[in-house]
Amino acid sequence: MTDDVEALPADSAPRHLAPGDVGLVQSRDFVCDRSFTFKNGQAIPGFTLRYETYGELNATRDNAVVICHALSGDHHCAGWHSPADRKPGWWNNLIGPGKAVDTRRFFVICANVLGGCQGSTGPLSTDPATGQPYGITFPPVTIRDMVNSQKLLLDHLGVAGVHAVIGGSMGGMIATLFAIEFPDLVRRVLAMATTARESAQAIAFNEVGRQAIMQDTAWNKGSYARDGGPRVGLAIARMMAHITYLSDASLDRKFGRRIQKQASVGVSDAQFEVESYLLHQGQSFINRFDANSYLYITRALDQYDLAHAYGSLELAFAPVQAEFLVVGFTSDWLFPPGQNRDIALALLRAGRRASYAELSTDRGHDSFLLESDELYGLVRGFLERDVVVFDFSI
Amino acid sequence: MNKIVVKRTFDMRIIGDWVAPNSRVLDLGCGQGELLDYLVQAKQVSAVGVDLEFANIAACVRRGVAAYQGDIAGFMGAFPEKHFDRVICSRTVQELSDPAGVIIEGLRVGQAVTVGFVNHGFWKNRVAALVSGRKVRNAVYPTAWFESRPANPVTIADFEDFCRTKGIRVARRVHLSGDWKTRCAVWPNLFAGYALYDLTR
Repeated sequence: MTDDVEALPADSAPRHLAPGDVGLVQSRDFVCDRSFTFKNGQAIPGFTLRYETYGELNATRDNAVVICHALSGDHHCAGWHSPADRKPGWWNNLIGPGKAVDTRRFFVICANVLGGCQGSTGPLSTDPATGQPYGITFPPVTIRDMVNSQKLLLDHLGVAGVHAVIGGSMGGMIATLFAIEFPDLVRRVLAMATTARESAQAIAFNEVGRQAIMQDTAWNKGSYARDGGPRVGLAIARMMAHITYLSDASLDRKFGRRIQKQASVGVSDAQFEVESYLLHQGQSFINRFDANSYLYITRALDQYDLAHAYGSLELAFAPVQAEFLVVGFTSDWLFPPGQNRDIALALLRAGRRASYAELSTDRGHDSFLLESDELYGLVRGFLERDVVVFDFSI
Repeated sequence: MNKIVVKRTFDMRIIGDWVAPNSRVLDLGCGQGELLDYLVQAKQVSAVGVDLEFANIAACVRRGVAAYQGDIAGFMGAFPEKHFDRVICSRTVQELSDPAGVIIEGLRVGQAVTVGFVNHGFWKNRVAALVSGRKVRNAVYPTAWFESRPANPVTIADFEDFCRTKGIRVARRVHLSGDWKTRCAVWPNLFAGYALYDLTR
């Protein structure tokens, strides 16, 4: 997902104190010192998940709402780490006291995925056997490994019931698989802008990103220093991926054909504003993301295929007890509405409870991060539903 | 409670009588999910509605009724034969662009299809059209032509003809008088305000 969703003017009032915000938050680390076996059979001696929580776990320990992030997201989904932060957590518009995901009612948990690089164990972490970063000796990560590791975090936090798992894009895959793998635990799934299996187009985009990384000589077969690595390749991967999160209409509205102020006529210089915007996106990404993590997580996305893993989508959904709400966005060309619809239809064919809603937006794949009262109302309605008992006397 | 809501509860109750407890029900053009909410509570059905409007889906979700935003034909096409015990087409049929196709497809994916519609052959509608020379406006269709969705003015006689020519079996039919409560036994196409049909193959 893109980085520029919530950039706010730096001169506004103390933003972390705004009503409806969770305010200042801290990340914590869950350190699991037991061996963790990945789907492919390989194991690591232990792992860490960095996570944040907002709100309180209730007495019955069943008001947990698990937020799942997308490819380049992290555990910081709401609030501020410091008053000086340039922007809040990535889903701050959705999560907070009185917001659609109401932290006065729910105990919200968000963890950086296994294989990630924002504090959770991944290729950048030190392999205790060698004292060096795992690099590409890290076991292949799957969406299922992300789910299983987060389940251990929920156990650690004493969560007995999950009111809802919520996620967009890759987060929607994690949320869906949570309900398949732990049907007794999960009561609701809200999956947005997601898919039950990536199309060839989505795999193709990911592969261009991976090639950009691996063909950068600094990648060095995945072995590089923590402050080094294939920065050029990673930036190009990000630039390309970033385009797939937006849309023709949204790029055109934002930049049109506007020319850079100091545009030079040289063929090698950025001439249009959209070019310098993408360059900036690439540059800011390399300062916070690890190239090997990018390879691992995009592979996890590409490998995810519920129908293949369980025989069919209906078989995959057979054990599900959760109620699903799947949300598609008309302008999403990465995981188009049809792929979201297919999830809801297969759930219904399997006799499960599922709804599908579609928002008309022109923001592309990243529409799930949209500031939209329609979306907020839908999410709130799903999480808090009115109970209207019919008057049978009529 | 206003007049329309009262009128509405009677056709809901008749449909409710036809629906088997714990059965699987599909409502085409479910609106805000009132009918399905009633059927879930009265008959513990497993329900899903289909509607084109986002606001209607959001209303269904809010009241806990499963609903799918999209096209009716596309939705039914994704289901195997007789997946549903009953497909309901309550006050939807007049707005469909291919009513025959929808009812026949409904009979493929459902054991039975329930159709409910306002009878445009009702004498008051005839008189109103004759006297005013304008589009009929009444409590059910209060809007002028320019603020209304396209709607076929279907009548009981038209619907009976349709079932006959398509070889669709009418398992049950209820014709309600102008008050939408009392049964109408004579000349329904003239004296019935509302009609409910239970169709099978």
